[in-house]
Parts: sequence; structure tokens; C-alpha cells
Amino acid sequence: MRTTHRLQGGITVGTLALVLVASGCVSGGSNSEDSPDDPIVIGVSLPLTGDFSEPGKGVERGYKAWAKIVNDKGGLLGRKVELKILDDQSNADRVVSDYEQLIGKDEVDLVFGPFSTRLVVPSARVAEEYGMLFVEPAGAAPEVFDQGFKNLFYAAPAVANDHYNHLAEYILALPADKRPRTVAYAAMDDPFAQGTAYGLKEKLEKGGIKTVVNEVYPPNTTDFGGIAAKIADSKADMVVGGSQYQDGVNLIVALQQLNYQPKMAAFSTAPTEPEFAKAVGNKTEGILAPTGYTQKGDYPSNKEFVEKYTKQFGKAPEEDEANAYTTGQVVAAAVKAADCASQDPECQGKMVEWLRGHQVETVVGPLKWDDKGRPQSAHMIQQWVDGEIQIVLPEQQKEADLIYPKPEW
Amino acid sequence: MPSASLVFQSVVLGVLLGGLYALLAAGLTLYFGVMRVVMIAHSAFLILAAYLAWYAHRETGVDPLLTLFVTVPLFFAAGVAMQRLLLTRLRPATLTMMSVLLTFSVALVIEGLLGYVFSGTQRRIRLDYSSAGFEFLGARIAAVKLIAFGMAALALLGLYALMKHSRFGQALRATIQHREAAQLLGIDTDRVAGYGFGLGLATAAVGGTALALDTTIYPSLHWHWIGPLMAIIVVGGLGSVPGAAIAAMTLGMLQSLLQLELSTTWAQTVFYVALFATLAFRPQGFFGGRLAQRF
Repeated sequence: MRTTHRLQGGITVGTLALVLVASGCVSGGSNSEDSPDDPIVIGVSLPLTGDFSEPGKGVERGYKAWAKIVNDKGGLLGRKVELKILDDQSNADRVVSDYEQLIGKDEVDLVFGPFSTRLVVPSARVAEEYGMLFVEPAGAAPEVFDQGFKNLFYAAPAVANDHYNHLAEYILALPADKRPRTVAYAAMDDPFAQGTAYGLKEKLEKGGIKTVVNEVYPPNTTDFGGIAAKIADSKADMVVGGSQYQDGVNLIVALQQLNYQPKMAAFSTAPTEPEFAKAVGNKTEGILAPTGYTQKGDYPSNKEFVEKYTKQFGKAPEEDEANAYTTGQVVAAAVKAADCASQDPECQGKMVEWLRGHQVETVVGPLKWDDKGRPQSAHMIQQWVDGEIQIVLPEQQKEADLIYPKPEW
Repeated sequence: MPSASLVFQSVVLGVLLGGLYALLAAGLTLYFGVMRVVMIAHSAFLILAAYLAWYAHRETGVDPLLTLFVTVPLFFAAGVAMQRLLLTRLRPATLTMMSVLLTFSVALVIEGLLGYVFSGTQRRIRLDYSSAGFEFLGARIAAVKLIAFGMAALALLGLYALMKHSRFGQALRATIQHREAAQLLGIDTDRVAGYGFGLGLATAAVGGTALALDTTIYPSLHWHWIGPLMAIIVVGGLGSVPGAAIAAMTLGMLQSLLQLELSTTWAQTVFYVALFATLAFRPQGFFGGRLAQRF
């Protein structure tokens, strides 16, 4: 008997507490909607562990730098911003449940995108269902923009296929007898890496430049001897690598081992990484690479970003960090224009609509988008000159002249 | 149709690649021969040795080959300890199956520790001669690939001499062939098995260092290697070191030549096609007996 009594008592107290908590929650919730003192909570899911943990952490640093710089200036619309970051372990299922939780349960006011095409597509779908604005720092591959998303914007200068646009223009503008006549392409079986190489391939083929080798390799390839032998045997005037990092390094070393000396060599991503020169034993002279960001970029917000980021993290920001920061800038511009930051469909709709028709000043330059969310700018082309990677294209931003034909490596 | 010079270049690359495969697979087949153990962690130890070589080179600037003086004895001791402390605790009836689980967990521990200590960043040993090479009958041979091949040849010849011409080698072969009979002859098979396991892991130290000379390394790289290596030892006949070496050379050559006509993706499948074919038509393997009666 006694135990029953105590049990009942316990249940009553418990229920009471629950009701109290619940009502407290409700009133608290309704207050937060409009209170100017509450922070603007931004939900993000990032691959902090697993395959994409390295770039994932870079994106995290970029977001944190943005939040700090905004808060130090008094916040957005007079409210502080607060990041709520979950770890999706580089897992596409996890990223979906993360955004469901952030939007549905945690009721964040805004969301930022995750990293990599593979994770951007499923998470963009969740954001789309809830009608949330979805600005993302990575996911440049064509398939991101083929899904019919209406709320998605890619916060970088150009999609993968347009990365080499300036280089294609440069090559096709050369006098016919000086142009490279044959090109060998090798690309990783990955939508982003292939996108960069095939974007250039399409333009050069249209211009009458012949493709002599066209190889695709799986992402886990470590032995590039065979591919390099094919490229060296073709004696192509130019080699283009649709690479990420380690594959680009291994392919370049394998080509050097075979003493293949092209007139022009372009590789995506790898040559812009800080470890690159060391990894290929400083034999980098003349290697070209597209890049969406440079610390030296002459945009007002970039100077502030580089300076404050370096102070916060002890080193200068790279492309991943910059694209994350750009995402913050784009969303901030939309928030200011719409004068609101909440899940309210009207507010989210206003922000999306504003971004459709306006240009935003960012650390990677002014950005505007087409109706699918593709940014309309272009990547700069960098080249290793005198042991340093320098911008060579386009003309108005160059730090050094493009060297062609490239010196022996 | 590929040109003759390209075919010859591919043959050269195939031989160099096959030699490396032979070295990497040697230890794996030895464990199985000695103990009927499927050692999933073998490739994780390869990557561990590669990391040690890279780390020593980065910190002190010594040539990665010199790290062998430390890593080979270290790995031998680790192998003996692993056999004596972990694998002998498994019940003989389920040894082969349970050893898969046990060594799988060891592989995960090594991968996790490497990621924790060195992060997931891809590393590469920077050598002055990493892109050096010379002409050989019209083909280019890279210095680092030749060094790796030389290491493989030396390690395998050394292993062969040890197995054939030393008392320990005789005891080891006796243990491989018939454990009970060896015991009746007065061989301490437990101790011999421990040393045999250590020997297998010592080849991983050499193999990992050879691997690190010419490729980027990262903690999860071992998953990429274990499949082809398993295929090689099955094709070669489980437990037979010469069988594994011949299978490795053959498959390495085939992979290199198939790449000429097929894509890299398809050329990689040669290992699995060979594995299926072996299991379907000649499960005891093509060289050596099912459990290597001869060496």
C-alpha cells in the first residue's frame, strides 16, 4: 500500500513538473520570436569526423570567424548570432536527420549548408521541404543544381564546370601555331573533380583542340604509374588533372618520374593546398590551378576577414574557410534586406526573393546567382611562379604573367 | 592499339608493381601458414610502418630506409607479443574465423590511433630523388620504384634463405606442415609460431616503408590494400610464400597491362576476378598446396 501511495505521489509531482515545464517552454518559445534580446540561432551540420573531416573543420572555422566578427560589431539586426553545429560524421543519412532536428525540433532561425556535394544535396532537400533559405559553401557539381531546388544558393564564385573559363579563353586566344594541339585529361571519378576537367575539355574541344587521352580513376587510386605512362606516351602538349589532393600529387610525381614535359599543366585543388609544394619536392614550376579565393583578394571585407581570422586562429584562411565566411555574408545580406530572421515562411521567402535579384559583396568578390542558384562569376587561375603560387588570370587581378610554355618540372 | 614503347613501359611498371605486391602479401600468407590466422590488420601495420618512416624523416631528416633498423625489430617483437598474448587465447576450433574479428579490431585501433596522432591529412615523404629516374631500353624507371622493388627482392630472398637453410626455418616449416608431428619431434611449436608471426609482421615493416617511398599515406589507406592482398594469397595458395610472390607478380603485371586497354577502375578488378576464378576452379590455389606442403 505504502509503495503504491508513494508511487502515485511521485507520478503526480512528475506530471505537475512536466506541465509546468511545458507551459514554461511554450511561453518562452512565443517570447523568443520577437524579442530583440534573443540571439539569432543558426543551425549547421558539418562533417567534423570521417572522410570530409579536414575540409569540414575548415568550414567550421570559417563559420565561427564570421559569427565572431558579426557579434563583435553588435550582431545582426541588433541581435547576437549563435551557431548550433552538429557533427554528421560525413554520412548522408546523418546529415538529413541533423537538419530535420535543427529545423523541426531545435527551431533554429536560419540554416547554413554543410560540406561536399554528397552531403549538400540531401540536406538541401530538407531545407526545401521546410521552405528555409539554403546558402551552401560547397557543392559545386552540376548535380546540385539539377535537382530543381528553389531556395539554394552556392556561395562561391563559380560552379565546377566554369572553374577553368579564364584559362580556356586564354588558350583559345593564342595564335593557332602556338596553341597546344593535343591535351591529355585524367579525372577522379567524383562529380566535382570531373566537373572541373570536363568543363575545360568541352571548351577546348569546341575550339578544335584534340583530346588524346581521357582517363577516369577511382578515388582510392594510389598507383598512378599506368595512367602516367599513357599520358607520357601520348606526348600531349597539355595535361589536365581533375584532381582533389593526394591523386593530383601522386599523378604529378608519376609524370615527373617518366620525364614527361608538357607545355602546359593544369590541376584542380591540389596545387592550391599548403602542403603541395613539399609533397611534390618543390618541382612545381609552371603548374596551373583554378582558385575561388585568395588571401590577397582586393575586396574590402576580405582584408577584414584575413586580418581577424588570422588573429583568431593563428594562420591565414584557405578556400574552405573563405567559402564558409562567404555563406555567412550572403545570409547576413539577405537578413538585413528582409529585416527579419526567423523560420516564418514569409521571412524566408523574402530573403530568397531578395537574393534572386541582387548582388552581394563578399570576400570572394561580388556574387549574384541564376534561377538555379549557380553563381555567375569565374574562378581565378593561379600558377606556380618562382616557387610561389600567384594569380595569372584574369588580366585585371594578375600578380604575375602566365608562363607558357611552362618550364621543365 | 597502344604503341610498342608504351607496352614495354607498362611491362616495366608491372614488374615493379608486382614486386611490391609480393612483399606486401608475403607476411599475410605466412600468418595463415603458421597459424591458420586471417590477419586483417596486416595492411594496417603496413600503413603504421609507413607513418613511422614518414614521421622519422620529417622530424630528423634521416632517410626513410634507415628507420628499418628500428621498425623491423619493433614489429617482430610486436608480432610475437600479439601472437602470444592475443591469438593463442582463441579456441583452436574457431581460430580462423575469430582471428578475422580480432585482427579486424586491431586494424581499427591502429587506424584510429594514426588518425588521432597524425590527423587525417594525407602525407607524403619528401625525397630529393622522388621524381628521379633513368632510361632503360626506352622505358623510364623511377628510382623510388626500383628501390622499393629492391627492398622487396632482398626481403623475400632473406625470408626464403631463412626458411630453407636455418634450423628455425626448418622448425617453422615443420610447424606449417604438421603441427602434431612437429611437436612429437620435440619442436616447441608455440614458440615457433610466435616467431613466425613476428617474422610476418617484420615484413610489414619493410613493406610499409617501401610503400611510403612513392605514395601518399593516410590512416584509412589500409582498407584499400587488404582486398588485393587477400586475393593474391588465395590465388597463390594459402600459406605458400613463393606462391604469393608468383601470384603477386602475375596479377601486378596483368593490372598494369589491362590498364592500357581498359580504364583504371576496371583494371583493378583483376584481383577479384582472379579470386573468384581461383575459388571456383582451384580452391587450393595455383601455386603450392592448400596449406603449403612445400616451400
